[in-house]
Amino acid sequence: MLKPILLVEDDARDLELTLVALERSQLANEVIIVRDGAEALDYLNREGAHADRAEGNPAVILLDLKLPKVNGLEVLKAVRATEALKSIPVVMLTSSQTESDVVQSYALGVNAYVVKPVDFKQFVAAIADLGVFWAVLNEPPPGSLRAARRYE
Amino acid sequence: MNGDVATMSQGPSPTSMDRQIAQCANEPIRIPGAIQPHGWLVAVDWRDGALVAYSENWRTLLPESGDLLPARIEGVLDPVRAARHAWIDGEGPVSCGTLVIGGRRLHVSGHRLGERGYFELEADVEESGNRAPIYSLARHLVPMMQRTAAVDELCRVVVAEMKRLTGFGRCLAYRFDAEGHGEVLAEALDGGYDAYAGHRFPASDIPPQARELYRLNHIRLIADAHYEPVPVRFVDGRDGTALDMSQAALRSVSPVHLEYMRNMRTLASMSVSIIVRGQLWGLVSCHDHAPRQLSWQTRMACEHLGQLLSLQIEAKEENEQVTEQLRLRQLTLAIVAHLADSDATLQRLVEEPGPLLRLGRACGAAVILNDSCWSVGETPDRETLLTLGQWLANRADPVWHSDRLALDAPPSLAAALAGTAGVLAISISRLHRHHIVWFRPEIVQTVVWAGNPHKTPTTERDTRLHPRRSFSSWKEQVGGRSLPWTSGEVHAVQELRQALIGVVLRRAEEMAEVAMELGRVNKELEAFSYTVSHDLRAPMRHIAGFVDLVLEMEGQGLSARSQRYLAHVKEASAHAGQLVDALLDFSRMGRSAIKHASIHTGPMIDDLVAEQNAMNKDRRIDWVIQRPLPRLWGDPVLLQVAVRNLVANAVKYTRPREVARIEISAVEDETGVGLSIADNGVGFQMKYVGKLFGVFQRLHQSESFEGTGIGLASVRRIVERHGGQVDAWGEPERGARFSFTLPTRAMQEAQAPEGDAAAEANIDTDTHRSLSPGGAGAPRAADSLSPDS
Repeated sequence: MLKPILLVEDDARDLELTLVALERSQLANEVIIVRDGAEALDYLNREGAHADRAEGNPAVILLDLKLPKVNGLEVLKAVRATEALKSIPVVMLTSSQTESDVVQSYALGVNAYVVKPVDFKQFVAAIADLGVFWAVLNEPPPGSLRAARRYE
Repeated sequence: MNGDVATMSQGPSPTSMDRQIAQCANEPIRIPGAIQPHGWLVAVDWRDGALVAYSENWRTLLPESGDLLPARIEGVLDPVRAARHAWIDGEGPVSCGTLVIGGRRLHVSGHRLGERGYFELEADVEESGNRAPIYSLARHLVPMMQRTAAVDELCRVVVAEMKRLTGFGRCLAYRFDAEGHGEVLAEALDGGYDAYAGHRFPASDIPPQARELYRLNHIRLIADAHYEPVPVRFVDGRDGTALDMSQAALRSVSPVHLEYMRNMRTLASMSVSIIVRGQLWGLVSCHDHAPRQLSWQTRMACEHLGQLLSLQIEAKEENEQVTEQLRLRQLTLAIVAHLADSDATLQRLVEEPGPLLRLGRACGAAVILNDSCWSVGETPDRETLLTLGQWLANRADPVWHSDRLALDAPPSLAAALAGTAGVLAISISRLHRHHIVWFRPEIVQTVVWAGNPHKTPTTERDTRLHPRRSFSSWKEQVGGRSLPWTSGEVHAVQELRQALIGVVLRRAEEMAEVAMELGRVNKELEAFSYTVSHDLRAPMRHIAGFVDLVLEMEGQGLSARSQRYLAHVKEASAHAGQLVDALLDFSRMGRSAIKHASIHTGPMIDDLVAEQNAMNKDRRIDWVIQRPLPRLWGDPVLLQVAVRNLVANAVKYTRPREVARIEISAVEDETGVGLSIADNGVGFQMKYVGKLFGVFQRLHQSESFEGTGIGLASVRRIVERHGGQVDAWGEPERGARFSFTLPTRAMQEAQAPEGDAAAEANIDTDTHRSLSPGGAGAPRAADSLSPDS
């Protein structure tokens, strides 16, 4: 079974567009949707509302930068600081390429940084490329579910 | 002159003479062990009144006393002995009335010095009532003295009166200069006396211990230079030189001084001290060719006159000083006010030269700031000023002055400053060579000495010390000096220095505040940009995205009109998105730091031309590139943005041309080097040239030429942040030419001479530099100083 993609997005319209894009990229991965940074951390740490979810990390986290409660950079920082989570690929999705965001994101160990294009076709292409690269092509670090499956 | 001891003009050998001079300066003038013969001296124990010592001439006053002389002296003094209880230790003699001894009527005066009381007896002269000398002083002289305007006029009045009171043949008033030479200010004389007005007596004429005695004892009379000293005898047989006669009127003087008097053809002399603010300011000195005795009353009147003169001089000098201080302070205020009105850089001082020159009564002044200088009036040339600045910088003192540079400055500097003998300099900064300097020219003075002070001794068989013999006028040319800097002037420039430091510091603080405010505004702007970039861009994306989805899913079912409308919505949102992006780029351009490098514009243009050709494959563009293209000093990324905008504009606005012609060439003028991009496109009217570089200013309808209206504004911002200039020329339907120049590397570095060195150590410079986060303001030369003292 493919690992899911965790999509962290607060804006309903962006969420819908991203889901359309993911749909069109024809990825088989399940997409888990959380609406703010705090919930994202709950999901990842299996706490709160997500305490009962099945074990295992997502294949990739698509993380919006501006989020209520806990923002994208803080989520990224928490992920990288947690032993069980730190090897999950994180792709930062953002509305603009503000220099300080990019610098901070890379400083915190982001795997990719994507400025959402205004043009929808470009957006679809970008999301599709990302999904294919991180959820399918990328070799997950040892210990992740897919690697384990290989030895089954 | 009138010192108790005078210098010698003869001696056997220099070393021996030096020793004799030293002995002369050490001569024990307070304890001569003898008195002059025109009176009688008695010293008693101040407490019990017992006789301690007496002059030997008592033996003639009380003849045939034999061994009983001391007892008889005590006896005749008995009526006045109790007067000693009223005496104050250290004060001069006071009158104790008269005694008749041996049929002679004698005036008795007395004083106390330590544990001794002194009685001095002299022949009494009947002078009482209105004729008493002291009354004439009060009645006539004081009003006259008050009417005088200046010190020398005051002295003339006093010497005339002193001569009248004493009957001496010549009466002089003179003042000691800083080196102790006496300058004759006024004289009154009878026929047959040499005039000394305007002459100087060398300082060596009066040795230091004589000067000190003049300060304590304000009057001294030598009645006859040929007198035979009368020894003083202690009743217990001690040597007479154990008796301190500092305050005694009868004190015997040095034989060397008597010889000096005789050499000067003076047999009687009297000196009255002029004491101003506790210091020996000068003397009133009376001479006569014949011996001359003065009564107690006359001497008291003379001493009193000397005190009046002292007080008047003190008052007049203080008055002059206050007036001068006021004048200097007003000048200081004018200078500081002028500076405070300007940008507070020190070189502005020379723009208002009047007060600056008057403050230092100088012929020229200069402001030296490191390797730059500004001067006004007559000053040395630039090179010399900078050398002077370097030399001054090695001196610790904040104020330095000299009125004889040849002696005080190193020979090479003094030679370069030839013609200038006086320099007054203040240092404004400890870290930097920031000085303000005033100059005074050399003044060649003729000094008339009363006798040659430099005369080499002539040999004489006698090896004893002799005072000089010639008092005939001897002229000397004194050069290499300027007018001396007065303490008032030095004080005034010190005040100016403090005020300037205050002004410059305050300005620096204001600058720091502005910089802080700018920093705050910048932060706000950044936050604003961030919000705009995220919150404004997202809706544009949503509009475009959902319209796309609608067109994709329902496109077939929509009417042609609906499809067209949705296409408009999509384009509009895309354009709005581009606007937001462009605006963000523009704002980022103003804030990001410039990273300088040397840029070869040749390859850069090649890349940009290739880029444009690739994007416009359907167009015919005739590129004319005039090589060689220049090297520029600037930020490679930003400059590429600027040049790309210009090239893209040329391509865009030549679109209607069948064959576009775009010419790129180098430009160079006094503002620097740069590029020019000319085209044969649609051009523009020159009356709109001012609007061309504004944000969102467009001269064409957006249907004809797409764009955000930010391109040229970005070009200007980038160029100006490099300290450069943009220029534009256009003619409708003929074409346009845009050019820019940047200062060369040398020019940019010359504008910031203090650059890194200043940043290391100086807070103020830093605030100034951070002041222009988005601008290319040239750093000022005078923007730093050290807050000291």
